[in-house]
Amino acid sequence: MLQRLVTIVAIVCSGGAAVLLAQRIITNPKPEAELKQLFPGAAAFSPLGGEPLHFKVYGVDPKANPSAAPIGYAFWTTDMVPQEHGYHGPIHILVGLDLKGTIAGAIVDYHSEPYGYFSVEPPKFAAQFKGKTIRDPFVVGRDVDAVSRATISISSATRAVRDGSRLAASKLLPPEVTK
Amino acid sequence: MEPAIETWRDILAPQAVDLVLLAVFAAAALVSFFTKSVRGKYATLVFAVAYMGFSKSHLISVVDIFGVIDRSLPVVKYNIGYYVFGVFVLASTVLWGRVYCGRICAFGALTQLLDAVVPKRLRIEPPPAIERRAAWIKYGLLAFVVVYFIATRDLLVYRYVEPFWMFGLFATTPMWIGLAVLLLATVFVRNLYCRFLCPVGAMLGLISNVTVFKIKRWSECRTCKICEKTCEWGAIRGPKIVESECVRCDDCERLYMDQQKCPHWLIQIRRSRPTANPSAAPAPPAAPSIPV
Repeated sequence: MLQRLVTIVAIVCSGGAAVLLAQRIITNPKPEAELKQLFPGAAAFSPLGGEPLHFKVYGVDPKANPSAAPIGYAFWTTDMVPQEHGYHGPIHILVGLDLKGTIAGAIVDYHSEPYGYFSVEPPKFAAQFKGKTIRDPFVVGRDVDAVSRATISISSATRAVRDGSRLAASKLLPPEVTK
Repeated sequence: MEPAIETWRDILAPQAVDLVLLAVFAAAALVSFFTKSVRGKYATLVFAVAYMGFSKSHLISVVDIFGVIDRSLPVVKYNIGYYVFGVFVLASTVLWGRVYCGRICAFGALTQLLDAVVPKRLRIEPPPAIERRAAWIKYGLLAFVVVYFIATRDLLVYRYVEPFWMFGLFATTPMWIGLAVLLLATVFVRNLYCRFLCPVGAMLGLISNVTVFKIKRWSECRTCKICEKTCEWGAIRGPKIVESECVRCDDCERLYMDQQKCPHWLIQIRRSRPTANPSAAPAPPAAPSIPV
């Protein structure tokens, strides 16, 4: 009995150590296709950079016209609000934001939610954020569809999009937009 | 723009109803446990299936164990009920043993209610030797899913080792077939999943090795077999209660209290009764109970 107990505990502990060493699943490093999906009219995207981390979206290729200003921004919610966790870890959402603080679109790239296949995974979940502004309430059950029995995942993803967009807007957009 | 700072009201208001219902449920579970009431226990089981099960799908799952392993748990302030429930389950296990398995887990409650309506003649009692070995399967399964998760990081393994997704009513056809087989087997072997297969039960079984308040045993329990035969969980072996199998269902404790059935009381009553022999002095009170 005791011996078996010790064996089980040893297996669990060594497993825990393996987890600490294991590389975490990383967000898609080059989401070209996803960015194109959020901003179909864009000519080019900057690499991920800046503080906080974001992609700049250009209407004309900055190589042709270096003085061109971005027409919008895109960011990973995991970079903006890394503390936001769903049922099991952060939900990685790519969000596009135009210069007026309106969400151009959102795409769930990776999640490990146990019931994700009927909560945050269906594209219609992320699609409902398109057209929302940073001033919208983002309340699950009111202006965001609630999925019964998946409240932890749905609320976390919703807060990630809301708080991520508001933070990005306050850091990247002109101050009059967020006033 | 809305203020970015949330007040406690903003955080608590959406959770208030569920926190109240969770508190009512926990109270029902504890009251039925302390009063040893049969009716209270069945009320708790129905509450568990309806609210914790079909309404909230709030069960302790291997996914929670995975979450603890890689520290990926929900945000505390937005999921107070999740943590209250988790702490309640851990604390009750340390204090009294697998109370969670016996009356709080929605799936366990469902199979116990199933057991209450299934005719007794259909039931197969596995021989003790097989039962004892089968009880180890759940530890193997726990070790397997933990190792498998660490190796593959495939969280979705939970679907195939526990049937708790059934309360969400979302599943693939093979999963439904598996559940049907499991429930059919449960008709014949009561609480089959909880006793032999559940990895969460195994985890709580490991924790229950440090349980503080154990079921008391009389010295008469060394020879008496009434409770051992009554125990539906195979948790009594001779004078000993196997804590890791016991789910605190109250069956044996109700027998202890029954002065018409428990030999401890019967012997005491016989001793104190005046006998035909006038020289026999009244016996001293019964020997103090010995906790085993």
